[in-house]
Parts: sequence; structure tokens; C-alpha cells
Amino acid sequence: MPRLLLLLPSTTYRTAAFVEAARRAGVDLTVASERPSTFEAANPAGLLTLDLAHPERAADEAHAFARQHPIDGVVGVDDDTAIVAAAVAERLDLKGNPVAAAEAARDKHRQRLLLAEQGVPVPGFALHGFDEDPEALARRVTYPCVLKPLRLSASRGVIRADDPAAFVRAHARLRAILESCDAAFLVEDFVPGYEVALEGLLVNRRLHVLALFDKPDPLDGPYFEETIYLTPSRVPKGLDSLIVQCAGRAVRALGLVEGAVHAELRYNDRGPWLIELAARPIGGRCSAVLRFGTGDGGRGTGTTSLEEIILRHALGMPIASLEREPRAAGVMMIPIPGAGVLQEVRGVAEARAVPLVEDVQITAHPGERLVPFPDGSRYPGFIFARGETPVAVEAALREAHGRLQFVLEPGSGAP
Amino acid sequence: MSNADVRITAEPIDNHRCKFVVSEPVHAAGVRRFASAQDAKGSPLAEAIFAVPGAGVTEIIVSGNIVTVVKDNAAPWQAVGRAVGSAIRSALTVDVPAVAPARKPSPGDASAINDDALYERVAQLFDEQVNPMVARHGGRVELIDVQDAVVMLRMGGGCQGCGMADVTLRQGIEGMLAQHVPEVRGIVDITDHAQGANPYFQASKK
Repeated sequence: MPRLLLLLPSTTYRTAAFVEAARRAGVDLTVASERPSTFEAANPAGLLTLDLAHPERAADEAHAFARQHPIDGVVGVDDDTAIVAAAVAERLDLKGNPVAAAEAARDKHRQRLLLAEQGVPVPGFALHGFDEDPEALARRVTYPCVLKPLRLSASRGVIRADDPAAFVRAHARLRAILESCDAAFLVEDFVPGYEVALEGLLVNRRLHVLALFDKPDPLDGPYFEETIYLTPSRVPKGLDSLIVQCAGRAVRALGLVEGAVHAELRYNDRGPWLIELAARPIGGRCSAVLRFGTGDGGRGTGTTSLEEIILRHALGMPIASLEREPRAAGVMMIPIPGAGVLQEVRGVAEARAVPLVEDVQITAHPGERLVPFPDGSRYPGFIFARGETPVAVEAALREAHGRLQFVLEPGSGAP
Repeated sequence: MSNADVRITAEPIDNHRCKFVVSEPVHAAGVRRFASAQDAKGSPLAEAIFAVPGAGVTEIIVSGNIVTVVKDNAAPWQAVGRAVGSAIRSALTVDVPAVAPARKPSPGDASAINDDALYERVAQLFDEQVNPMVARHGGRVELIDVQDAVVMLRMGGGCQGCGMADVTLRQGIEGMLAQHVPEVRGIVDITDHAQGANPYFQASKK
């Protein structure tokens, strides 16, 4: 039985989905995390601690582990572990991306440099340091612009500024969010347009599109909290192939060759623009909306998860189908309702009762402090729906969300 | 009680197991496990769930207000969860108990004797090895019952709602059971993880 090394940071949402996928695929699983499991001594083949903050060190540790427990494939589940997976793959001669490509996908500035060099349409950008005078900088940049941290995910810390005063405020806020993590940040041109997301799998350099999502809520700032993802996309015929071509050029520009990719793109009257490209699958619990293969003679729900496809690909195991089920599907990342300590969530049963809604998952727990964008990025839950058309699915998601009520402890708004 | 009074929340554990948390008590007298439609006879709730068409239900565990359903069908829970919820709701609105009391084992009932023996061994393993390990992360694992060689457990403390609870369960506890009590055929986690107020690891990335 092949052994998969699964790199799971202790903060991931993805644990259950990947562990279940490994069980379904019938593979031997080694879970590696940055903090030790209390069962590691009891199950030394199944649990491993790796220094996920230092990919080369982690690769050495994985190499030592593999002497006793040979590894046949490695998968990372997020931006950071994608680099570690690449380092382990290189060290153990497994299927994976070059480390330099995974690092380029992780670093927003490096990514934009490579994309621009290769002629991939990206917003105009410039790297700036926090040691620069923000007021002088505010006089030099063009508006509207977007301030972005180099390494945070989920649009955390991303702020639009329309004039110098807004720039200075955004600069101070971003600096506070980053504390001492980063000495630099990006200032990008704001590109107006409609945003889509592409989920793909690279197989020996070839990009297979697993899903193209619409993001129907306008993402015009000042913050960029995502809400709804809907597939199949309703972008005009012909434009979808331009979007896929743009993503494919971006993948080649970074040098990614194997595994999951997730791209965010915008399009307007000048065509598609690559906003972000990541060497990992879609985040949070959103992957639950994707099912592959077709049950019930092509009319039923697909039976293979995204995670199962990813780990089967990493291990070179057969994959029945890369075709998403025919029905429309959508997920809403429930918007953070405000700042404060969560007391309870009302209306979950009512939200579940909305036709086409298949699940409502509340991931925030009672007593948890909710932090809105741009400082926070942890969504309090997810709503899933499936139906015959994207329009019907979107309506169901909004109706279900309207039935939820997040009750925060009175007076808990300020940390 | 009317249908509208009963609220049910589905919490898939994985593609084969899902917990249905019911707003009303379903079975207050301990835990009952149903391994087949035949087992379910006399318990309207279990009968109704086994009868859900196309669900491929193979096992039901009922404890307090939680109904854990196991299926062998590959379809996601989203496709069958609503029908299971309706079955639970309908069984709770009739005048007979939704779940009949567990049958008393007859003196010659070998499986019951085996479960008792397994319970003792699993309890000892939990006391001596599993719980000291999870206690290092502020967690605890409670053995609820063993029925037909299937272990039912509930996680608490730092394990309840922990982002790595599935790893603890599958890579930790399951492995220890396989090593020390190999007769165990499966594990069912009946924890209500959504209510975990102090998880040791908390998911925080998108």
C-alpha cells in the first residue's frame, strides 16, 4: 500500500477532508504537523513532527523518516506547506513542484515580477518598505490603489485607498496587522472588474481545469472579504477560455508543474487579469462544494472529493474522472458579522431548511472572538448549496444566510 | 410535539459517518447501536433511517440527543442528510418511544459477552494510555460503549472541536486499538465538536 506524507498545519480547516480522502483511497497515511501529536510515540509511522517553517530542514527530517517508512507521495494543504511539499518532493525524488516555483507562488512580489516578465496581465505593482515615509509615498502613488501584505492569505490586510488620506490610514492599519512580520508591502493598481476563481490540477505541466467559480459579490474594497463562490461560471462563452489561457500562462511563468493550483482572476473590457495564483487547493472548507465523477447516469451527485483527486495524483494512483458533476454548486463563506465574542448562532436549522441548501457549518465556537476584515480573516462558517442552475444556488445561499443570526456578547466589541 | 418543533443539525464526520444533533432528547437511557434493519425492529427512529431510499445506511448509534448514522454509499451527506433528518423528525412525532430499550443479553449470547469483555479492555486502554496522552493537550476521551465490537467514544476538553481531532482519532486512538484490542471493528466519535469551547488547535486560515 503506498504511503502518503500529508503536511497538515495545526491551524488548517482541511484535516477531516484529507484524512477521509486517504481512508477512501486506501493509502497508508503519515500526518506531519509543526507541533507534535501526543500519539506520535505510539504511532511513529503515522505521525510526524516537521519544522514546517523551514522547508529544507523539514525535507531533511522527512528524508530521515523515509529511511524507515518509505514515502510514495507528499501533499501540502496550504501556501506554506506547498513549499515544504516541494522541498520534500525534491529531496525524496517524488512528484511535485520545484521549490523555487512554490516559493514564487507564495511571495506576492516575486510572483508579480515573474508574471510581468512573462507578459501575463497583472495589475501595476511596486514594492515598498515600512521604513518609507507614508505621507511622501501617498503623494507618489496613483489612485485607486490596493495595499497588500506579501504573505498573508484570505485577503487579510488587503486594503483599497482612493486618495492620499486613505492611503496613510491604510498604511498604518496594515503596519499594525503585520507587526514585525514583514518589512515590506505591495502597492498595486486597483483593477476594476468581475472576479472569478479557477481550481485546477497540474499533471506533468498540463493544467486541467477542475472548476471555474463566479464570485458574484463585488470585490471593490475598501476590504476584500470573500463571500460566495458559484460554479459553473456564467462568464460569457469565449471569455472562459481566455481566463483559462491566462491562468495557464501564469502557471508556466512561475514554473509550477504538478498538483493543485488555485487562481483568482478579474476580467474587464481589457480582458482577464491574474490577481493571485497559489500552489494549493481552494481554502477553508470550500472544497466540500466540489464533487467529481457522475453518479446516477450523469444526473446524480459526484462521488469523488477534491482531496481524493489531489492525493491520488500525488501517489500516481488512477483517477476515475477530473470532470465536475453536472449540477450547479455554491458555497458562501459566511461574512464576519462584527467584532466581539460569539455567544450563539441562531437560525441554523432554519437556514438548513432552505431548499437546495445542503449544509450549514458553523466553525466559530461559543466564546470565540470574531475579528472583522482587514485585521481578521477567520470566517465563522460556511453554507453549501447545490441545484440545477447557478442562479438558484446563489439565491438559496443568500436566503440561508439571511436566516442566520450571530449573537455577540454585549460590550465585547473592543478587544 | 409537531414536526416544526424538532430542530436537527447535521455534522458530517466523514463521507461515511454523520452526526445529527437533535433539539429534543432521542434516547435518554444510555447508548443504542443498530447494526442492521433487523436490529432496528421495534425502534421507529432506526427503522425509518434504515428505510431511507438510496442512503445505504449500515449502522445507527443513538445517544441522548445525538443520532450517528453510518452509510456505505459514496454519495456525500448533502445528498441524503435531508431525508435522514425527515426520518428522525417523523419518528419523534409519533406516540411510541423512538428508540426501544436495549434488549437484555440472554445467557447464551456470545456477542454480548464479547462486548463486555472488550469494553473492559478498551476502558483500561483509555485509562492507562489514551487519556494520559490527550491530557497533555488538555483533552479527554470518554468510552461511551462497545456494541458489536464497535467502540463509541466522546471527546472533551481540548479535543472537543480541535482542528486535529480527526488525526487524534484516526492516527492515534484507532492505531492503539488496532494494536492492543485488535478485535475492535470500528470507532464512532459521538462528540458534538461544534460545542467545543476550548479546542487545543483551532483552524484559523481561510
